[in-house]
Amino acid sequence: MKVVKHKLEELKAVAFVTYKEWSAYRTHSLVSVFVGPIYFIVQYFIWTAVYGGADTLANMELSQTIRYFGASVLIGYLTMDFADWNLQMLVRTGKFLTFTLRPMHHRFFALSQKIGHRILGFFFEFLPCLLIFSLVFKVDIIPENVGWTAISIVFAFLMNFYINYCIGMTAFYFTQASGIRLVYQLFAQIFSGALIPLNFFPSGIQHLMMLLPFQYTNYITAMIWTGGGNIGGINLSAPQAVLCQAVAVIAVYFLSELIYRLSIKRFTAVGA
Amino acid sequence: MKHIKMYLACAHTAFSRAAAYRADFILGSIITLLSNILFPLVTVLIYTNGAAFPGWSMWDVLLIQSVYSMSTGAAAMFFNSVVWETMQHIREGSFETVLLKPVSPLFFIAASNFDPECGGLFIGGLVLTIVSVAHTEICGFSSVLQFVLLFFAGLAVMSGLYLTMAAITFKWVGNSRIPEIFDSIKTFGKYPVEIFPRTLRILSTLIIPVSVIGYFPASALLGRLEPIAFCSLIPCVLFLAFGIWIYNRMIKLYEGVGG
Repeated sequence: MKVVKHKLEELKAVAFVTYKEWSAYRTHSLVSVFVGPIYFIVQYFIWTAVYGGADTLANMELSQTIRYFGASVLIGYLTMDFADWNLQMLVRTGKFLTFTLRPMHHRFFALSQKIGHRILGFFFEFLPCLLIFSLVFKVDIIPENVGWTAISIVFAFLMNFYINYCIGMTAFYFTQASGIRLVYQLFAQIFSGALIPLNFFPSGIQHLMMLLPFQYTNYITAMIWTGGGNIGGINLSAPQAVLCQAVAVIAVYFLSELIYRLSIKRFTAVGA
Repeated sequence: MKHIKMYLACAHTAFSRAAAYRADFILGSIITLLSNILFPLVTVLIYTNGAAFPGWSMWDVLLIQSVYSMSTGAAAMFFNSVVWETMQHIREGSFETVLLKPVSPLFFIAASNFDPECGGLFIGGLVLTIVSVAHTEICGFSSVLQFVLLFFAGLAVMSGLYLTMAAITFKWVGNSRIPEIFDSIKTFGKYPVEIFPRTLRILSTLIIPVSVIGYFPASALLGRLEPIAFCSLIPCVLFLAFGIWIYNRMIKLYEGVGG
């Protein structure tokens, strides 16, 4: 219990400092207040035109698709992460050395930073956009099941972080690993469901995606938000979908730990 | 003539630099290409699910989007790095090193930051355009001429957007999210303009003429160009002129910190 309390205090301290640090750049976050609604408007008109008179497409009604894109934007503000970039920069410059000397696992430090950063995102990106979608665009954006959606967002947040951290650890093996990061982002963009709900993909690809981590960072959460639950073409209830997400998060956590133990042996500091 | 020679020398240097790190250059070009031609995937998935943009076949829409990619790639080669280089100089307070050069600062920044990596995007867009054209019917030689005219007008808009972004960095120091704002506006140019309501159509045609980037040139090839497309040529030229003017104007706001 004492260890848990101590960890929480560490997390709180790092998150608070990160929040304060990034608060100096809050206008950067406010860019989302413009970009998010513009993106949503475009999606609204695209899908309204595409649906035409059709009731459903890929088992989704127009209203659900529009809510899906609104939810995707909002989820993105809560789960956004650049731990990969940060870790690659620390390893490449040798600054990672300073973290190996601290009595705290760097991954936990990075996670705490991310929590602080996204709390700022909650206030300066998520809430303003939620209000714009709800009050200006009159979209029914309130989640179908607030509790399960909140849990799913937490898992999406962790999933995104652990995957990015794994990608960041490629810096221990390559001098310049930004290409790997870009390739990952490319796949994530397609298979996380950020561009189009995964229901629109052929069923074979949907089944394949069950084994990939991407959909657990956005798609599953957006589907739970909008009242659906569909993995690989199989309909799931919200608790079942969250359970799948939890299993995936645990698997990626252990994968990140394994990679960390293997890759830390390769780290040669350059003086920081 | 002197400026053309200087520009060619800078472009030659950029290619030599890229050749020194060939693998990185090729990988970078491929990733740039793939990440920017992703959005046609959405169109393909929409059509394979039996839906459609009313009045537009899949290849018609892909033509719009491939012309958009081509235009983006071409403009990015010349002006994309102007944004990031200007932003970095201002953040570091080293813009003096540009101001001291015996040429226009804008010309110097643009010439010395020619980006051959964006050529991958242009080539990808070109290939997709050719494939799309092969699946559609071009309406004669005059359509091709109209396409060329409107394509260059689209380049003017893109260039104007890049210069406006770069100009903003003089005031909004170090905000790397500025391009996101303009990217979101450009999204209107990737789809048939008829799907948007009247206000947005006017906005994207005459005020910030992003429809000229992809939609109008593709419509010209398909022989379904509306007369208003030619009205949008004026705002395109004005947009580029505004970009150049605002960039040079904002330079006066620069406060050096020693370089």
